[in-house]
This record gives sequence, C-alpha cells and structure tokens, in this order.
Amino acid sequence: MSVVGSSWRRLTLPGKVLAVTVPVLVVLTIGLLAVVALVGPIVIDVLAANMPLVRFVVAATAVIIMTIPTAFLVIYMELKVIARMNLRIGPDRVGPFGALQSVVHGLKVLGKEDFTPTGADRLIFTWAPIVVFLASIMTLLVIPFAPGLFGQDLNIGLLYFFAIGGLSIVGLLMAGWASFNKYSLLGGLRSAAQVVSYEIPLTLSVVGLILLAGTMSLNQLVLGQSGSLFDWYIWQQPLGALIFLIAAVAEANRTPFDLTEADSEIVAGFATEYSGMRFGFFFFAEYVNVFIMSALAVTLFFGGWTAPFDWPFPLDVSLDPASLGIWLLVLVTVVPVLLTLLFAAPFWISSRMPTWQALVIGFILFNLFAVAVVFGLAFMSFDWVVGLVWFMLKSYVFVYTFVWLRATLPRVRVDQLMGFAWKWLLPASLLNLFVTAAAIVVVAR
Amino acid sequence: MTAGPPKSRYDIPAHASADDPRVMLEEQIGVFESIPPYPPRTEREAEFYSLGDGQMFLNIGPHHPATHGVLRVVFKISGEQIVDVDPVLGYLHRGVEKLCENADYHQAICYMDPLEYVSSLFCEWPAVMAFEKLLDVEVPRRAEYIRVLSSELNRIASHALFVGFMALDLGGLTPILYGFIERDEMVEMLASLTGQRMLFNYFRIGGVNGDLNHDFMSRLGAWMGRAAEQIEANLGLLNENEIFVRRMRGMGLLDRETAFSIGVTGPNLRASGVPFDFRRAHPYSVFPELDFDIPTRQEGDCLARYPLRIDEIKQSLRIIDQCLHEMPDGPVMAKLPRLVRPRPGRAFAGVEGPRGLNAVYAIADGADQPFRMRVHDPSFVNLQLLNLMLPGNLVADMMAVFSSLDPIMGGIDK
Repeated sequence: MSVVGSSWRRLTLPGKVLAVTVPVLVVLTIGLLAVVALVGPIVIDVLAANMPLVRFVVAATAVIIMTIPTAFLVIYMELKVIARMNLRIGPDRVGPFGALQSVVHGLKVLGKEDFTPTGADRLIFTWAPIVVFLASIMTLLVIPFAPGLFGQDLNIGLLYFFAIGGLSIVGLLMAGWASFNKYSLLGGLRSAAQVVSYEIPLTLSVVGLILLAGTMSLNQLVLGQSGSLFDWYIWQQPLGALIFLIAAVAEANRTPFDLTEADSEIVAGFATEYSGMRFGFFFFAEYVNVFIMSALAVTLFFGGWTAPFDWPFPLDVSLDPASLGIWLLVLVTVVPVLLTLLFAAPFWISSRMPTWQALVIGFILFNLFAVAVVFGLAFMSFDWVVGLVWFMLKSYVFVYTFVWLRATLPRVRVDQLMGFAWKWLLPASLLNLFVTAAAIVVVAR
Repeated sequence: MTAGPPKSRYDIPAHASADDPRVMLEEQIGVFESIPPYPPRTEREAEFYSLGDGQMFLNIGPHHPATHGVLRVVFKISGEQIVDVDPVLGYLHRGVEKLCENADYHQAICYMDPLEYVSSLFCEWPAVMAFEKLLDVEVPRRAEYIRVLSSELNRIASHALFVGFMALDLGGLTPILYGFIERDEMVEMLASLTGQRMLFNYFRIGGVNGDLNHDFMSRLGAWMGRAAEQIEANLGLLNENEIFVRRMRGMGLLDRETAFSIGVTGPNLRASGVPFDFRRAHPYSVFPELDFDIPTRQEGDCLARYPLRIDEIKQSLRIIDQCLHEMPDGPVMAKLPRLVRPRPGRAFAGVEGPRGLNAVYAIADGADQPFRMRVHDPSFVNLQLLNLMLPGNLVADMMAVFSSLDPIMGGIDK
C-alpha cells in the first residue's frame, strides 16, 4: 500500500492523468477490437446488402468535405489573380504567398456574431443560406471526377443537375424576402429574374448535345468523348458550348452578370443583412458554384477526365533495372550527388550559411524530390489519379476564366441582362438545337 | 386572469421600458414609413413623400459604396424603375464660408482646400485671386506660371480618378487601380512641390509658397515623357468595352437649354456642345498667352462626358508643356505685409476647375478678416441634374449618371 501510495504522490499532474487514461484507453481498444471481431461480419453483411445506400452516404460526405478546400482555393485564386491583374500584390501575410488567407477568412466568419435583424422572418432567414448551400453542393454528386470517382451515375444526371441547381433561386428569394431590407428584396428579385431567364438557354444549349450523345448520364457523356482532344463535344457543338459558358457565368452570379450582389447599386443584394456563418454559407456556395459550373462545362464540352492527348511517356514503373546497363551505375552514384549539389547551390550562394549546412539542406531536398518522383510515378499508374489531375486542371482553367472576367468587365444593367438572355441567347440556343437535330437526321440517312 | 398588453410578435418582455430599442422598433415593423417622420414642410416634400401604388422608397446613402462621399439620395421606385429622386445634402457640412469669415485672409485659404478634396488647388485659387483683387496686388509672372502648371497637374490627377471611379461604379474593378497609379505619381509630384499630398495649401496671396524644386522637376520630366502613352494604355480597358459603352450611351442626356437654365459648367456643359471654358471666356492668370483648345462633344450623354475629360487631360499636358518652356525667372511672391487689411470693397474671382466654375465672392469691410465669403461650387450645381436625368431610368443607371457628373461631396456640402 505504502509503495503504491508514495509512487502516486510522487507523480506530477500530467503523470497522474496519463496513469489513469492509458490503462483505460488500452482496455477500451481491446474491447473495441473484440466488438469489431464479433459484430464486424454482421455489419459488413448489412453494408454489403445496402451497397447503393452506403455509396450514397459516403459520396455525399466526401462531396461536402471536398467543397471546403475547393472553396478556399477558388477564393484564394480570386484574391490573388485579381490582385495581380490590378497590379497589386494581394494577400501575402498568412501562409506562404498568403495561401491560408481564405482559411483565416473562414475562421473569421465562424467567429462573428450571427445577427438576425429585428423584423426579419426568423425561420426563413435562417434556412435561406442552407438551401442555397445545399442546392449548390448537391449538384456535385453527379459530376464524374475520374473513372469510377463519382457520387451517383444517374441516367438523368444532367436533368438532376439543372433541377437541383435551380433550387438555389428559392434560397436567394427566401433570403431577399426574409431580411426585411429593401436592398435584399431588390437583390432577391433580381436573382430570381436572372436565374429563371438564364436557366432556359443554359438547359437548351445542352439539348443538342444530348441529342448527339443519346444519353443524359454525365458518365456516359464523358466516355463518349474519350480519345483525344478532337473527340470533345466542343468541336461538334461550338455554339452550344459558347451559350452554355455565357449562361453559366450568369447562373453562377458572376461578373458581368453579378447583379444580385452589385455592390455599387444594392450594397450586397440578398446577403446585405447576413453576418457570421450564415453569410459564410452564401459566400461558400457562390465560390463552390464557380467550381461546379466550370466542372460541368469541362464534363460536357471539354472531355471531362479524359486526357487531351496520349501521354507520350509510359507511366507504369515496371522499369527493369538490368536493362539500364552501365547507366544504372550512373543513376545510383552520380545523380544523387549532382542533385544534392544542385539543391544545395542556391542556399550556399545566397546566404552566408556554412557549406556543410547547405549540403545538409540540399541532401534533405534531394530526398524529398526522390520520394516525390517515385510516389508520383506510382500514383500516376492509377487510372483515377490521372483522370482527377486532368479534370482538375481543366476545371481550374475555367475557374481562372471566371476570375479573369471579374477583373476585366463592368457589370451589365438589369434590362440589358434580360434582353440578352431572351433576345440573343434563347434564339441562338434554339437554332443550335434545330441545326443539330437536322444534322443528326441527315447523317442518319 | 389579468388583461395585460397584447402579446408581442417579437417577444418583447412586458416589463420593457419605453426606451428599450426593441419597443421603439416594434412600432415601425411592417410599415415602410415615409422617410421624414415630420409633417411635410413644402409642397414638393408632400408630393415626394406620398407613395403611389406599388412604389417604395429606397435610400442610397449616406453610407453607400457608390456615392462618392456622403450623399444621400432618396429614390421613389416602382420595381427597379426610378419615379422620383430627392437628394439630401448636408452630411459633410462644415460651414466653410462662416469659418473663413472668422479667420484672417491668409488663414481663410487653408479652409478652402478640403472643399473639393481631389482638386484642392482649384479651390484655393479663386479665394487667393479674390483677395488679390481686394488688395490690388500684382502677382509675379513666375508665380502665375507655377500656379497654372501645378493646377493643370491637379486637373489631370482629378480626371484620372474620375475615370477609375466611373468604372468602379459600373462594376469594373481594375481601371480604378490603373487610374490611381497615374494619380499617385502626380500627387507625389505635387507633394514634393507643396509639401502635402492632398490638401496642398500652396497658393498665397500674391504668389505661391515656394519655387519649383529639383525633386518636382525631375519627377515631372520623367512623367511627362510617358504620360500620354500611359494614359492611353490605361484606358484601353474601357474604350472598347461593349458593356461599358452600352451602359453609358444615351444615358443622362443633357441639352444646351437645360444646361444653361440650371447653370451647369465645366466638362458636363462642354459635353453638351457648349464650348464654354472660364479660362477662355473670362481669361485670368497667364491663360491668354497659352495655346490650348477647348474640347467639346455634341452628344451630351454620359458616354460623351468620359472622352471629353480624356481630351482635357491631353490639353492639360499641352499647357504644362508650354508652361515649362515659357516660364520666366523671378520672384514667386509679391511683397506684402503679414497682416493684410484691404480697403472695403467686394471682389469676385473664378477659375475653371476640373468640374466647372470654382468661384469665390468676397466682401471686405476694412478688417483683417473677410466680412463675407461666398463659395460657388460646380458640383453643387451639377448635382441638380440628378432630378432631371434619373426619373424613368433604372436604379443601376443612377451610378452611371452620378459618376459621369463627377461630383465631390466636400464641395457640395461645404
């Protein structure tokens, strides 16, 4: 007794905590393992029996989690790219080159007061951002990111996309109405008018594509474009792609069609009265929408995850060392030394660092490089990694275009916006549809 | 059960005191009140603040991103269409005229600076000129040339800012930063000459505060070499922009008769085809000796006011060039006592500022302070055009019209 007691008294506070928690954790772990061993097979059976449901839940979770870095990246791109176009520096304080700026933005938004104005319709006011956010991210479920990497392969994928995407107007209208603010009201009405008008050319512009491809499943559409650059649907539907891109800018409420939040006219539109994370949801949804619209454009007209050309180098690492002959010796002995010196050179030249320190840094960098090369090659031999890389590259080209537009163009007026949709885009998309249909009939004969 | 007050929709406790803000808000909820809570004071107010069917009031300002400063414009709108406009002034009122009457003649000049804070020299100049007329002082010719030189630089700075802000009001993010590059260059130049970046306080009764210095001249020389080219390059973003042109063309039309009847001056008048420039119409300083044109446009719409100002920038560059070539040597200040007491009398002096006629009417009573100062500000006159141009247009057009008139609230509210 005295031995245990004196030992206990001699422990510091963290030691006491550890002395209690470690055994408890060990017991819990063993218990959990036992439970898994006993119940595991049953659970797996249940999951296997409900595979579509499991897949849906996993996909939905993955999509929601995926939106966070996506939105952060798009926001950071917007800050930085517009800054460079404006001959400014942009964010450069948080993280390397200010890369964590949007993370800090997110934290700031979380920490702010969640304010509801007196006179607002509390219920609708609270739900509006959630509706907008969900409507935009639910569309991600049908987008094929890579071979085998998609939420659901719906046979009416495109229809689902437009139907769910159109729901966001409801949220904007809710926000505009419930805020008890005239700017919000005007913003909400503008957004309703705008999205309703542009939804029609947006949908009609892809009908020609659907006729051509004979499917509405986004996965099948991508597979139909596999091959090279010249198999993309943009070559068969150039007018449709143009209309789609213009309408997509309007659908994502971006400059030059960002009338719903025209800051020089109606302050912040529907979001005027929102603060804290409710505003964060709007903000989030807007930037995720930019990515989604880019991703859809890529999927429909620019080949989705298919590579634009065959990769000229074989990516499988089934390299036979023996075939290298004498070069193997060079690779093993000379190349590491050379690369280490190469990586060490800038440190040695630019600072007053002792030579040995520069060499150590060079050696560490060389190791990182080697690991990156080996793992990069290994990952590239997976189909879905290559597909994802191509898909993201193409999508971010379009995100960049969205940002570029914002830095370049002024805003159109309400009547010009509506006139453009009804007088130009709608007839053009109908023309596109008729020409495509006629061409299909002619070719079929 | 006791009969208490009716239960509130917004959960205000029954024991809340009368000055609980929620209690006061409770009375207004659900009703879009007419904006002045008092009974209308004039017929116009009564007419404006009575709402028709489907109409509502919309306050733009005083804290609004698009009003340059603190203008508040009350719109009566039907949908997005403006039915009537009521600009409400006075949020920046400092009583400059009264302040000037309580300062001596030298001190009064520095009160004039913050009137049009982007073109301060043009506010100092008429005051200085009026006092010189009262005192009957001969200004050295070198001082006059320096005044013309520095004020034309200031005009370019003001117009460069105008272009940027007009684009910003229409939603373009980039041109304002390009405009600011040029403006910063000029402002730094003027700072090396006058010691201040914005409110220069450079002109003195009988001359200017200091002679041209090396820093100023070297900056000016470097800038003049590339100025015209640089300004052209910066404007490329707007000149060929279809959206920009579509929004400005035919908007805010101003014909000659209306302009005359209201008393519009400056670029807004010249854009309606009237070649009226105070520098030529009532020549002052050394302008009779300088060679420059008066650019005009015939259209009279918002779009015309924009290239007109660009033309004015080019003319200003011409004037600066001539000033540099023809500037004589000599003193930059007339000999004057520290405390000036002009004989009783009255004097009017006006200059052509970047927004129109900047003028001062000063009355002296023999004391060392002006008896009365009256400041004429061009923005104040130009702002009245809002009432004529806006009704019938959309809310978004307010930004195009307002920024093309280029008012500065510091001068309007005085």
